[in-house]
Amino acid sequence: MNLGLIQRALREIVPVSLVFGPLLAAIAALLGFALPRIANRIANPSFLPPAARQLRDSLLGIDTTSANPSDIVFALAWSHPVILILVFAHATITCTRVPAAEIERGTIDVLFALPVTRLRLFVSETAAWFMCAACVIGCVYAGSFIGTRFISPNLRPDFSRLFVILVNLAAMYCAVGCLALAACACSDRRGRAVILVVVLTVGSLLLNFLEPLWEPAKHVSFMSILHYYRPINVLMSGAWPWRDLAVLGGLAISLWTFASIVLSRRDITTT
Amino acid sequence: MPAAAIQTEHLTRRYGARRGVENVSISIPEGSLYGFLGPNGAGKTTTIRVLLGFLRATSGSALILGHDCWRRGHTVRAQVGAIPGDLRLWPWMTGLSALRLFGRIRGLDLLSRGRQLADELELDLNVRVRAMSRGTRQKLGLILALAHNPCILILDEPTTGLDPLIQDRLRAILKRLTSAGHTVFFSSHTLAEVEAICDRVAIVRQGRIVADSTLADLQRQAGHEVTISFKPGAPLPTPPDFLTIDESSPHFWKGRICGDVAPLLSFLAAAPVDDVTISRPDLEALFRRFYESPEQGA
Repeated sequence: MNLGLIQRALREIVPVSLVFGPLLAAIAALLGFALPRIANRIANPSFLPPAARQLRDSLLGIDTTSANPSDIVFALAWSHPVILILVFAHATITCTRVPAAEIERGTIDVLFALPVTRLRLFVSETAAWFMCAACVIGCVYAGSFIGTRFISPNLRPDFSRLFVILVNLAAMYCAVGCLALAACACSDRRGRAVILVVVLTVGSLLLNFLEPLWEPAKHVSFMSILHYYRPINVLMSGAWPWRDLAVLGGLAISLWTFASIVLSRRDITTT
Repeated sequence: MPAAAIQTEHLTRRYGARRGVENVSISIPEGSLYGFLGPNGAGKTTTIRVLLGFLRATSGSALILGHDCWRRGHTVRAQVGAIPGDLRLWPWMTGLSALRLFGRIRGLDLLSRGRQLADELELDLNVRVRAMSRGTRQKLGLILALAHNPCILILDEPTTGLDPLIQDRLRAILKRLTSAGHTVFFSSHTLAEVEAICDRVAIVRQGRIVADSTLADLQRQAGHEVTISFKPGAPLPTPPDFLTIDESSPHFWKGRICGDVAPLLSFLAAAPVDDVTISRPDLEALFRRFYESPEQGA
């Protein structure tokens, strides 16, 4: 690692994170405050028509008939599309900078003329990203915590379980970020890298949504990154989702390694 | 003989089917100011990119201070100050923050030397890059390339955007550095500036080196330009074999000779000559000749 390179990366990532972090905290707070108030309407089968119930279960990824209302609403808050899209967007924006965005901006010549190996540069970039990522993901937890301060204590979730979900969300965020790093390492154009990540993550969201609704989707649902992020299971059981964490972690490490190898070996051309 | 600071041997770099550089062999001794001349697209920037470890050579080798530019790129770059042809810097930086940041990355204090260079090049270090003009940005790029006092400078068209006064100051800095033993690789398509400062020059054309020599040697190889006016009404002699006529009219020849001028003087002594000029071609003429001819123009 190189402190100067970390400082340079932070200078570019922090402003983005200062937008996404508070925004995520605000949305998480709003969901944590509002959803428990309508818990019965969301969770009670007599209030929801069957189609709406199916859509709700699609969002959560499993059949929630046996789940209690509080678990359902907090699972919905933590797998709400707005939260997921913002989290994925932050990972995509911050992880498609080197080398693609630097090539597009023309600053790669100055960056790569510095006396550091490309691997060291990549590790420093990753370190800066991790620092900001920890804060941004932490904002979701903080927002949820703040939002639930304003509801009745008996409606509040078990925060140790929310912490497990937070770790699961962080693992998924890392997998998407490393996918963006890999796409970026292979590309000279940031737009192309972003498009690839967007297509894969939106595809994942769609596949996850279709899984309970459409039989063929069940057979390929393991390919969706959201298949390994099930807040409702954690809230219901309180157990650590070790298998999901291992899959997401393994995916992230594999993609990061691939990206570092590609970046170290590829030619850098700007013309 | 001094050691080669920069050396390439049969360096070839292709972009798929497209040519980059082909079989480029140069050896630049330490302490020299080496001009690398060529028009746009000739392969100058490709050569520089290989030297800085951005591109891997398709074949051949590129060494700086004995280190392979690709495998030991970071070691090479610690000794090198470089400025790219189309310099872009991060818009949020000021001159001062750039010196601090680059110093931290290099593990050196660049501020005092950077301030000294900024005074010399008349740069306000407190202005942000986004507010800088092209020339001002170029000055900052030069300061960042020079501030760590590198053994080797690789400059790709470094005077772009600089006003003539600052160009003169840059030339003075480069001459001072080379006299202190630093090596400068100066890529340009501007003949005059290479002629003004470089003691050795390579001319690259369509990815190949077509000349690599000192300016004096190049001019010597290029021979002499000759103009001869004959007396009106006198019978014209037959042109001798050693004289290549480029332009002729009934009483006027313009041409060039390679090698010794003695045979020409003997020829002229016997001819009805009214006036004659024999001169060395300037670099401009030499350069054009190298470019206009598919073969080595001399």
